[in-house]
Amino acid sequence: MTANEHIVFIVDDDARLREALIELLASHGMNAAAFGSAGEYVRADKPNMPACLILDVELPDINGLDLQRQIVEGDHPPIVFVTGHGDIPSSVRAIKHGAVDFLTKPFNDAELMAAIHAALDQDRERRAELAELNELRQRYLRLTPREREVLALVVSGLLNKQAAAELGISEVTLQIHRRNTMQKMEAASLADLVRMAERLEIPITHSRRAGGERT
Amino acid sequence: MWTQTLFQYRLALAIGASAAGVAVSWMTATPIGLVAPVAAIFLFARGGAVAVLFSVLAIALAGLVIATSFNLGGFRDLTLTWAGFFVVALCIGAIVAVSATPGADDHQTAIRPTAQKVAPSYPVTGPTPEEKAAPRQSPIVSINAQDDEITAELMLAASFWGGSPFHLRYWRNEPNGNCRWTEVRTEAFHEQNGIRQWASVSADLHGQRSEVPLPAKTASSPPVDDDAVIAAKFVEQLLGNAWAFDRSGRPTYLTPFAQAFVSVTLDEFQAAADEGLSFFRRTSHPDEYDHIDAAWRHSLRTGDPFYIERRIRRASGIFDWNRTAIVPTRDGHGRVTGWYGASMDLDAYRVAELALRERERELSQLVDMVPSHLWRLTPDGEPVFYSKRMVEYLGQDVADADERCIGRLEALIEAIHPDDAAKFRSVLDRCLLTGKAFSMQYRLRRADGIYRWMSSRAEPMRDQDGRIVHWYGLCHDIDDQMQAEAAIRQRERSLRQLVETLPALIYCATPGGEPIYRSQTLQDFLGLGLEETDETDETGRPRLAGTLDAIIHPDDLLTVKERYGQSLSTGEPYALRHRLRRFDGEYRWVETRAAAMRDPDGVIAQWNGVCLEIEDQVRAEEELRQVHDRLARASQAASLAELSASIAHEVNQPLAAIVANSHACHRWLSAEPANVERAKITAERIIRDANSAADVVSRIRALFKRSTESRSATSYSDIIAEARQVMADEFVRHSIHLDIEVANDLPLVKLDRVQIQQVLINLIRNGIEATDSNSGEKVLRIRVLRDEDVIRTEICDRGRGIACPERIFEPFYTTKDRGMGMGLAICRSIVESHGGRLWAQSNEPIGTTFSFTLPIEAKAV
Repeated sequence: MTANEHIVFIVDDDARLREALIELLASHGMNAAAFGSAGEYVRADKPNMPACLILDVELPDINGLDLQRQIVEGDHPPIVFVTGHGDIPSSVRAIKHGAVDFLTKPFNDAELMAAIHAALDQDRERRAELAELNELRQRYLRLTPREREVLALVVSGLLNKQAAAELGISEVTLQIHRRNTMQKMEAASLADLVRMAERLEIPITHSRRAGGERT
Repeated sequence: MWTQTLFQYRLALAIGASAAGVAVSWMTATPIGLVAPVAAIFLFARGGAVAVLFSVLAIALAGLVIATSFNLGGFRDLTLTWAGFFVVALCIGAIVAVSATPGADDHQTAIRPTAQKVAPSYPVTGPTPEEKAAPRQSPIVSINAQDDEITAELMLAASFWGGSPFHLRYWRNEPNGNCRWTEVRTEAFHEQNGIRQWASVSADLHGQRSEVPLPAKTASSPPVDDDAVIAAKFVEQLLGNAWAFDRSGRPTYLTPFAQAFVSVTLDEFQAAADEGLSFFRRTSHPDEYDHIDAAWRHSLRTGDPFYIERRIRRASGIFDWNRTAIVPTRDGHGRVTGWYGASMDLDAYRVAELALRERERELSQLVDMVPSHLWRLTPDGEPVFYSKRMVEYLGQDVADADERCIGRLEALIEAIHPDDAAKFRSVLDRCLLTGKAFSMQYRLRRADGIYRWMSSRAEPMRDQDGRIVHWYGLCHDIDDQMQAEAAIRQRERSLRQLVETLPALIYCATPGGEPIYRSQTLQDFLGLGLEETDETDETGRPRLAGTLDAIIHPDDLLTVKERYGQSLSTGEPYALRHRLRRFDGEYRWVETRAAAMRDPDGVIAQWNGVCLEIEDQVRAEEELRQVHDRLARASQAASLAELSASIAHEVNQPLAAIVANSHACHRWLSAEPANVERAKITAERIIRDANSAADVVSRIRALFKRSTESRSATSYSDIIAEARQVMADEFVRHSIHLDIEVANDLPLVKLDRVQIQQVLINLIRNGIEATDSNSGEKVLRIRVLRDEDVIRTEICDRGRGIACPERIFEPFYTTKDRGMGMGLAICRSIVESHGGRLWAQSNEPIGTTFSFTLPIEAKAV
C-alpha cells in the first residue's frame, strides 16, 4: 500500500477535527483531502484513484445523509460516517444506502483505520470489477452482428443444430461463427463465455426445449 | 144628642121595671116577677153576653125539666113553676134580642146621612197643585173635634170597604196646640186582585177656608116623579154625586155635593140651559168643550149613553180629571124620558197614570238610549222585544220574522255568525232548560252584513212561584275590544315565538330572583317547567334555592349563588359560566347573563336572563389548551434533547479532535525513526483543544449553575474584544461588516466573564443570522456606552425585525428553523442576575436593536 494508490476525503465543519484527522492519517501514511462543507467537496476535483469519504452528519450547508443520497447514484467512494451524536434512524439509513461504517465521535484510532481500510478495499474491488467489465465490453463491441446473434443463442443453451435452424444457416457455418466468437471474447470454454454474457447482461432469449420455439 | 137622651131614658125605664118585677116576685113568692129584670138585662146585653144569657137560661130550663120528669127531691110543683118561669124568660129574651137587632141597622144607615151631612158642612173643593205636592199624613191623626173624628172614621170605613175615593177636610191638631184646616184625599188604586193600595194626599188649606163660598144650595123643586131624578138619587146614594136631565138635556136635579163641587147651582145651570148653552159649558175645560159638546149633543140626538173623561173646573178654578157617565131613562116604548148620571173624580188616578206613563217613557227612553242591545225572550226562547238600537243594528225587528214565516229565534240565530250559531243555540237551549243565566260571546251580523263580536248576557225573571216569566238580555258590542285583544294576543304570540325560537335558553325572574318564566327551549333543556318546582319543594326550601340546587353543578353552586345573590342585591348585571344540568342528567357548560328590567322609577321589576350553551366552545378551548400543553411539553422535551445534543456536539467536537491528535501523536512518536516535530505539533493541538473543551464545559456549568461566585471586577472592553475575536470567523464567513463603538471611560465592572461573553456571543450570533437573511447592506453595529450608573450595550442589526419584542424572551420561543428558543431566555436571566436589564426594540426602517445594561456597582444577587 503506497501513498499514491489512494486518497481519503474528509468533510467536517470543525476545522480542529479536520486538522486532527489529516494529521492522524498522515501518521498512518495516508493521503487526505479535507473540506469544510458538502458543497466544497462536491465542487472539488477528485483524483481517479481508490478513495474513501469520511463524512460528518452535521454540516453547515446540507446534512451528510442528504449528501450521501445525492451522490449514491453516481460513481462515488465508499462513505464512513462520523457524528457527534449518532441516532439509530440516521445510522440505519446511512448503512442502507451503502455506508461502510457509522462512527460516533470521539472515535478511536483502530476503528477509524479499520473502516477506512475496508472502504478503500471496497473501492479497489469496485474499480477492478469496473475495469474488467469495460474490457469485456470492448471485446463484445469487436463482434460482428452475426456473431452477437450466435453468442446470444449459444449462451441460451441451444444446440448448434437448433441455433443454425434458428438463424437459417447451416450447422457448419454456425460452428465457424461460434469459434470466432469464442476467440474474440477470449473465452476458454463455453462456461466462460456464458459467465461473460451474464456480466454483459446479454439476455437469454431461447430455450433448448420446446424445439427451439421462442418462449 | 137625642141618642144619648134616649139611652138614659131606656136605662131608667129598665131599672124601674126590674125593681117592680123583683118586688112583685117577692110579694107573690113566685118567680114570675123576675121576668122584668131578665128582660132589662137582655135589653142592654150585646153580642156574646146575649148568647151567654140564652145558654144559662136554656141550661137552667133543661135542668128543671129533667128534675120535673124524674120528680127529684119531691118538689115537682116548685120545679114546674121555675121551668115555666125560664120558658117565659127565654121567650122574653128572644123578643128583646130580636127587637134590639134593628137598633144596629140604625147605626149602619147612619153612615150615609152622616156622610151626606158632612159633605155640605165641609165642602170638598179639591186641592191645588201645590196642595197635592204637600206631605202625606194619616187622615185620622190628630183630628180636632170629637164628633168630626167619629165622622171621619165612618167615612174612611165606607171608603175602605166600598173602594170609593175619600175626601175630607178637618181641623188638624198641631203639636204646638194650634189647629189647622187640612184636606185629605185618599184614592184606591185598583189592581187585578182587588184593592191593593191607597194613596193619600193631605194638604194644608189654612187661610183658604174663608174664600170658599158656602154652598147650601139645594135643588129647587125637583120633579120627584121623574125617572131620571129617581135614578139620579140612587146614584147619589151610591156615589154621593149625581144629576138628572130631562129629555132635552136640561138639568133637573143636581146633588148639593155636585153643585158645591163646581160652585154652580142648579138654578144657574138651568138658566144657562134655557139660554141654549150646554150643561158642560160652565164646567168643562175650554180646550175640550167643543169635543164634549159634540158628543153630548150626539147622545141627546141618538139616545146613546154618554161616557167621557174630561177635566172639570172646580170651584177653586182648578181643573180635575173626571169620568162622566150619563145614561138615558126610557119609557115603556123605549123612548128617552130623561138622562141621569154622575161624575167620578179621576184626578189622582189620572195623575198616577200620567206619572206611570212618564216613567214608562223614561224607561223606554233609557232602554233605547243605553248603548247596548236589550232584548226579551219568552220562557220558550221566543224573542218578544228588541231595543231600538238592536233593531237598528240587526236591521230587523222581532215581528219582521213573522212576515218571513220563520221563527223569531231562527231569525235571530240567522244573524249570528255560522261558526257561533250552533254554540249559541245549544247554550241558549241549556239556559232555557235549566234557568241558569245565559252568557256568551259571539259574532252578530250587522244590517250591512258585517259581523261584529258581541258579549251577550241574559237572566230570567221569575214570578212568585219561581216560574220564569221572561228572559231579559243585554248584548254589548265588544268588537273593537276583541280586535284590540286579538292584536295584543297576536303581538304577544309573536313576541313569545321570538323568545321561544331564539336559539338561547331564556328565563325571567322576580326582583327576588324567583323564576317566573322559562322559554320552551330552556324547559326542554332542563326537562322541567316552572310548575314542577313549586314555591317550596318537599324539604321546604324556597323555590330559588331548590331550583339552583337541582340544575347547577355542585361544584359551581356556591359561586352561582354568591354571584346571583350579589347581582340581586346590587342590581348589577350578572354574567357567569357554569355547568347546567340537562334533562338527561348531563351537565353542560353554559354562559348565563342576566340583567335587571326596571320600571320608570328605576325600581327593578324583573330579571331577564339568557343562557347560552357553550359546551362545545368550552370543550374546544379545553382541548386546545391540552394540545397546547402537550405541545409545550413536547417542544420542551425536544428542546432538551436538542440542548443535550448541542452540548454533546460542543464537547464532542474538541474531544474528537483531541483523540485524533493523540493517536497521530502516538503514531509519530512510535514511528521509526520518531517524528518528534510532528508529534510536538499534535501535542500542542491536543492542549489547545482540551482547553477549548474545558471552556465549553465550564460555560455550560455556569449556564446552569448561575453562580455569582465567579464574578470579579473585569474590564468590559476586554470582554467585548474577546467576543469580537471569537466571532471574527463568522463575520468573515457571512461577509458582514462589524461597526463597533466602545466608550473609553468604562469602569471595571464586577461580572461573570463567561456568562456575559455568552450573552454577547449569543446576541451577536443572532444579529449575524438576522443580517444574513437581509439582502441589503450587511452591517452589524455594536455600541457600548456609559449611561449614568450603568453600562449599556446595544447590538443593532438590519435584519427583517421581530414581531413581538417581548415574546422572544420567553423560553422555547424561537423564530429560527433550528433553534431551541433558550438563547434569549438564558441571556435575559444572566443579565438580570447581574442586576441589569435586557430588552429588544424594532429599528426604523428595518432591524432590531437588543440592548442590555450592566450596573457599574453590580449587586450581589
